[in-house]
Amino acid sequence: MGASVMTMTVITNTATITELTSSYRCLPELLHLLQFGDSALPVGGFSFSNGLESAIQQAVVRDAATLREFVLTAMRQSATGDGVALLCAHRAARAGDTAALLAIDRATFERKLNEETRLMTVRMGRKLCELSAAIIGDDLNREWLVRIKAAETAGTHPVSLAIALAALGVERRDAFGVQQYGVASTILGAALRLMRMSFVDTQKILLEATGGVAAAYEEVADAGVEDMASFAPMVDILAAVHVKGHVRMFMN
Amino acid sequence: MFANVRELAPYQEEPRQLPSGSFGKNAFLRLGFEPRPGRTVLSTLHRRAPLIVQQALYWDEEMPGLPCVSIISNSGGILQGDRNVIEIDLAPGSAAHVTTQAATRVHEMDTNFATQTQTFVLGADAYLEYIPHPTIPHKRARFLQHTRIVIDPTATLLFSDILMAGRKYYGDGELFDYDLFSSTVSAERPDGASLFTEKFIVQPHRHGVACLGAMGPFHVFGNVFLLTPKPHADRLFEAIDPRFDAEAGLATGMSRLPYDTGLVFKVLGMESAPVTAAIRQFWSLARQEVVGARVPDTFLWA
Repeated sequence: MGASVMTMTVITNTATITELTSSYRCLPELLHLLQFGDSALPVGGFSFSNGLESAIQQAVVRDAATLREFVLTAMRQSATGDGVALLCAHRAARAGDTAALLAIDRATFERKLNEETRLMTVRMGRKLCELSAAIIGDDLNREWLVRIKAAETAGTHPVSLAIALAALGVERRDAFGVQQYGVASTILGAALRLMRMSFVDTQKILLEATGGVAAAYEEVADAGVEDMASFAPMVDILAAVHVKGHVRMFMN
Repeated sequence: MFANVRELAPYQEEPRQLPSGSFGKNAFLRLGFEPRPGRTVLSTLHRRAPLIVQQALYWDEEMPGLPCVSIISNSGGILQGDRNVIEIDLAPGSAAHVTTQAATRVHEMDTNFATQTQTFVLGADAYLEYIPHPTIPHKRARFLQHTRIVIDPTATLLFSDILMAGRKYYGDGELFDYDLFSSTVSAERPDGASLFTEKFIVQPHRHGVACLGAMGPFHVFGNVFLLTPKPHADRLFEAIDPRFDAEAGLATGMSRLPYDTGLVFKVLGMESAPVTAAIRQFWSLARQEVVGARVPDTFLWA
């Protein structure tokens, strides 16, 4: 009896060790993820609320429960929209395929029918590319910045993020995670400034939201640019209310 | 043609009745409009049942030269395996109004799916209103709609779509009980330069749509594209204020499309009537701005 328990423990330990070895990322890579996933990354994310400001003004979001629902919807829309753009752009960046990147960037921009979202994606995309070109300084990031500045391409955020993370050697699934984390942390960061909400509540929502990212990745992993889709008419209308609003702290 | 569409992958099995896209399930309509002195005529009409157009009527008292065409169906709605194709072509300087006879019912399905592919081509200074009645996706319906717009920079297109939650008052109420509603609208210039694409995939059984940010508490979704030269779009954008009225159960809002292509106007409501009314109001303002004529009052029987 004692011997069999002993054997099982050994097997379990071996399995754990094998799993750790195969997926164990090196420390510099982990730190890259932290740096580029951080909401303090100076790309202007703090100026945007992703429609939350308007949702609060219209009392659509009013407490932790409604904020949670709003964040989960935003993450879902982002996974099937920008998330797909990022995965396609990551593949193109790895292959050094500038023509594909230009097509993805244009397609992403033209799928932002909501004016504020369009503004947000190109502002953050450009700032991120400026930062990456300066601190990573690889050829593709620098070339991409030249193209953005020359108005040859829109410079959407998911494409700039994919180029930056690909240059750092980040895998596509991790890149997707950085993008998804960014959406949640941007909205939750704005929530702390816009409504009475405790840090504990927002961190609880963040933990739940990030828990769904792996499943979202599996769902869109093989999607192409033409599959990019979203469905958020309520957010679109709230954004329209925000555009014409007079009292506002955030760009969207 | 639809074999590679990801969201249709689970629904590829053939119906036990007529094979998908076979005779009777491959409706085709081609409507061509050309200008004549004082009016536009429906000069090309190709049709294959179950979609039927008989002739253009001139019922609009505010625009007496406007041919009004009603698309009718002799199959009582959209069934599994249907592959509808509609093409509407407006020659330079022509104007037309196209609608449907009644709501489009997308019937319950147990195999396969249905599609409708629409192409609108507008020449210089052309003007098209395409305002069909609402679409009602029944329980387990799978429907994919592809709309391609090719538009000259001087032309105007008003194109609306109303999506109901289902047969709301049937049985215990069918609210978001369909399997799939996938809609793609994309626009380009005659030289092929792309303008915008909107794609939404609604799969209520996989991901709830009644969540905040998507449909929230609302049941009916109206989506209107107005592609028009910038000065018209600018004046309409200034004149029309968004509205979010939770108590009245109605929300409307507008956004400028990429590259100053025009406007997209969205409406959320609880029933079809207020959503239709909001769209009609927008349509009338747009027509006054672009053509200088208002939209006549609804018929007493409508």
